[in-house]
Amino acid sequence: MEMILNFPCLCILLTMFSAIISSALNRRWARYLNTFVVTLVGILSAAVLMFTLTSGKSYVYQMGHFPAPFGNEIRFGSLEAGMALFFSVIMLLSLNGGREKIRMEIDPGKEKLYYIMINLLLSSLLALVYTNDIFTAYVFVEINTISACGMIVITEHGRTIEAATRYMIMSLLGSGLFLIGICILYDMTGHLLMEYLYTSISNIMAAGTYRIPMMVAIALIVVGLAIKSALFPFHAWLPDAYGYSTVSSAAMLSSLVSKGYIFLLIKLIYRVIGFEVFFGSRIINVLFVFGLAGMIMGSVSAIRENDIRRMISYSSVAQIGYIYMGFGLGTGAGMVASVFHILSHGATKSLLFVAAVGLTDASGGHKEFDELTGAAYRNRLAGAAFLVGALSMVGIPLFSGFISKLLFAQAAVQSQGKALAALVVLAVSTVLNAIYFMKTVIRIYTPTDKKYEVTAFGYKVSYAITLGCFILLNLLLGLFSQPITNWITQGLTILQ
Amino acid sequence: MNHILLFPIVFPILAGIMLLTVIKYQNRKPLLAYVGTVLGVNALWGLFAMFRVSEGVTVFYLTKSLPIYLKVDTVGRLFASLMVLVWLLGGLFSFEYMKHEKNEQRFYGFYLILYGVLFGLDFSGNLITLYLFYEFMTLTALPLVLHTQTKEAVMAGLKYLFYSFAGAYMALFGVFFIGRYAKTLEFTPGGVIDPSVFRENETLFFVVAMLMILGFSVKAGMFPMHAWLTAAHPAAPGPASAVLSGIIVKGGILALIRVVYEIIGVDFLRGSWVQQWWMILSLLTVFLGSLLAFREPVLKKRLAYSTVSQLSYILFGLSLFEVQAMTGSLLHIIAHVFIKVALFFTAAAIIYMTGCKRVEELRGVAKGMPVTMWCYTIVSLGLIGIPPTSGFISKWYLAEGALHTGIPVFSWLGPVILLLSALLTAGYLLPLSMRGFFPGEGYDAGRFAGKEPPLSMRVPLLIFAGLTLGIGLFPNVFTNILSAAADFLM
Repeated sequence: MEMILNFPCLCILLTMFSAIISSALNRRWARYLNTFVVTLVGILSAAVLMFTLTSGKSYVYQMGHFPAPFGNEIRFGSLEAGMALFFSVIMLLSLNGGREKIRMEIDPGKEKLYYIMINLLLSSLLALVYTNDIFTAYVFVEINTISACGMIVITEHGRTIEAATRYMIMSLLGSGLFLIGICILYDMTGHLLMEYLYTSISNIMAAGTYRIPMMVAIALIVVGLAIKSALFPFHAWLPDAYGYSTVSSAAMLSSLVSKGYIFLLIKLIYRVIGFEVFFGSRIINVLFVFGLAGMIMGSVSAIRENDIRRMISYSSVAQIGYIYMGFGLGTGAGMVASVFHILSHGATKSLLFVAAVGLTDASGGHKEFDELTGAAYRNRLAGAAFLVGALSMVGIPLFSGFISKLLFAQAAVQSQGKALAALVVLAVSTVLNAIYFMKTVIRIYTPTDKKYEVTAFGYKVSYAITLGCFILLNLLLGLFSQPITNWITQGLTILQ
Repeated sequence: MNHILLFPIVFPILAGIMLLTVIKYQNRKPLLAYVGTVLGVNALWGLFAMFRVSEGVTVFYLTKSLPIYLKVDTVGRLFASLMVLVWLLGGLFSFEYMKHEKNEQRFYGFYLILYGVLFGLDFSGNLITLYLFYEFMTLTALPLVLHTQTKEAVMAGLKYLFYSFAGAYMALFGVFFIGRYAKTLEFTPGGVIDPSVFRENETLFFVVAMLMILGFSVKAGMFPMHAWLTAAHPAAPGPASAVLSGIIVKGGILALIRVVYEIIGVDFLRGSWVQQWWMILSLLTVFLGSLLAFREPVLKKRLAYSTVSQLSYILFGLSLFEVQAMTGSLLHIIAHVFIKVALFFTAAAIIYMTGCKRVEELRGVAKGMPVTMWCYTIVSLGLIGIPPTSGFISKWYLAEGALHTGIPVFSWLGPVILLLSALLTAGYLLPLSMRGFFPGEGYDAGRFAGKEPPLSMRVPLLIFAGLTLGIGLFPNVFTNILSAAADFLM
């Protein structure tokens, strides 16, 4: 069993080395290597998950020669392992679903680069999930940003270059704030490893000195990560970045990249800042308000959108708002709901992106709603998958979105003072979701006599299998949520 | 053994999905045979199952505290039996009617799915199961509204959807709160909330109750959320508007009975502002619905307004929290199903045979379609409440119940408004009969000649007209069962 303890580290190294090796391969082998590595990471993470679930403990793994408090460490429990598994599954599915598109939209000479970026992205995500060192987290946040930019810009047309630039600027602003926050924390505590930071911070807070600098540091870190994960009102970069990049990129950006930052924030809340300190501060009220605003504004923007890809992107703004609203409730139940929503939104949003591309391709590549009329008849599976995604987003029972909403609402009614606001906004936002998603569903199921050129895309077996897996994943989250919430609850407890 | 309750839910849903995806029929005959078989088999099985099984069945757990749970009781049996009857006769009626619509296979696919979903709704044994099937009912009824896919139909469908979702989420809001305070969400006459807990959070529970009442009564078309109904009914094909008006809107009423009587408990609400507002809104709707119907020239729209008004009779009866009024409500549910389905069948038959949609075009229609118009006249009398029809009995119970409660103002205002509305009902329903049978001078005699609809359309009409009379003539069969059920719920 000792062997399994090496797996998280092995996963990170595997992905990094495969990125390096890929640069020496041709595009076909780079693709094979990437698929192999992502699958392997998934399998290894599953093994780690099984192991940590049965033992019910968390493990610290020393990296390099120096022991704590100086060296670098990896730490993992069931929550981390599960996230790693989830990330690799979604990545594999998103890549498979958009494979044809990658081939069509990316210059053959650059396709190799794309897989290098993907490998780097996965390595940085894994590192963000597993690391126990706050500065390592920063380094991988930057790697994450760079590879995400590469994934956006790779199609090389004007809109994506502009989008990538905007993303880069906002993202660097976010990581800059994050870095300053870390610096202040380091100044005050002299530590970078999370355990030691936690002890120092609770000592400082207990002593009552340096309260304000501490709050500033925490606020900087939180805001930095919030900008990077596109919390309203820092979402301006998002619709372009998700809307115009190739579909696999869009799916991964919305389901993995932003979720990686959010997961890092959760880790910081539990392991560095401390649950009580964080929820005792006023920062959560700010997050709560912005979360609520995002839930409404994201949906309002989505309603006004005439481009299906951008509409789905704006819906992400709303969904990110849900997650921060869960943080803002300031209870353990709210956190569980947020983590569940990371999973449910990740699974649903990538499904929607992949399904939407099947629909647009069946409509001559147009993304406007007028042209999408009847698209579900031209590509039945994509239509059905979009329907499932939409129903989940609207929060119909049996689908994963309903369980998210249920958990949020249950968390909200337990929290005094915020219950009413949270529930009202939850209801309003759900109705708004229903407006644009059901409008789209009706649109794609309205027959039309217009003929479109039939493309090969969307009739491929791998695309069909991907959509099938996505639908199953969604139903799995919706129908068998109890073991999953148990796992999250357990994982959050041992995170501390 | 108890799991046979699942069969009538799952079987038609699967059959419908098959029809939508796998099976492709080139001709009508095999399609109709398929649909007819599923309808028939499922009706038999459903009726057998619900009268045989009385224990609950937990299907699976959505989360640890939220089981999907089925249980049949008297109210469920009442709704399910009505639904089966309407579904069978509506199917028969549509076999002819749908000839002039396209995409029949899709229509029947959703018709069958909805059949299963409604069984689920009627059989649900706790709040979360009810909510699940309620949402699916909203969704699977949508394609029926949208069926013609004209711009009007799509707009009507969207309107229907948004009103329904808005209502459903208002209700869900309440479900969340109740989920926190209640010991269980299983339907229990008298409510599931501890009196002491209720007294502590009285204001909260009143707000929650009001929200749930408003939310679920969207489906039942209570003012101010009634607008979807009058848009959706005329846009749907004839048989679809009949089942919408007969059955789907009753889903809202079923949910209200469950929530008010079996989750919150009437003893808590008696005399509160929630009850008062509920009475005010329902009486307002009774009156306004009739008034608007009176002014409406398009026949199907007129009938839709009439539905708005009549459903609020039922809601008013429910809001009184009194056994006799409740019995009246349950009776009126039965009466309204038979009458309104028959009325919409008439409208559909007229459209199908002549293409006329407005009332003033129909002078002399009874000369060509005597059977249809006789049925129309009989059920119209029923809706107005003239003895010996079913409407008379139910309204009698409602008025008696209202007077019996002794609530200030409402105990006499209610019956007065019911009477006024009955006058208006006569005013909007009977002119069609009068002009139909006695067109007066100068009408085109040949226009409607030989337009009597075929047998498969006439038979359902005749059956419903007969049932309307039948209940009026032998009311005791029903009143005993229903007043026992009402008594049980109090």
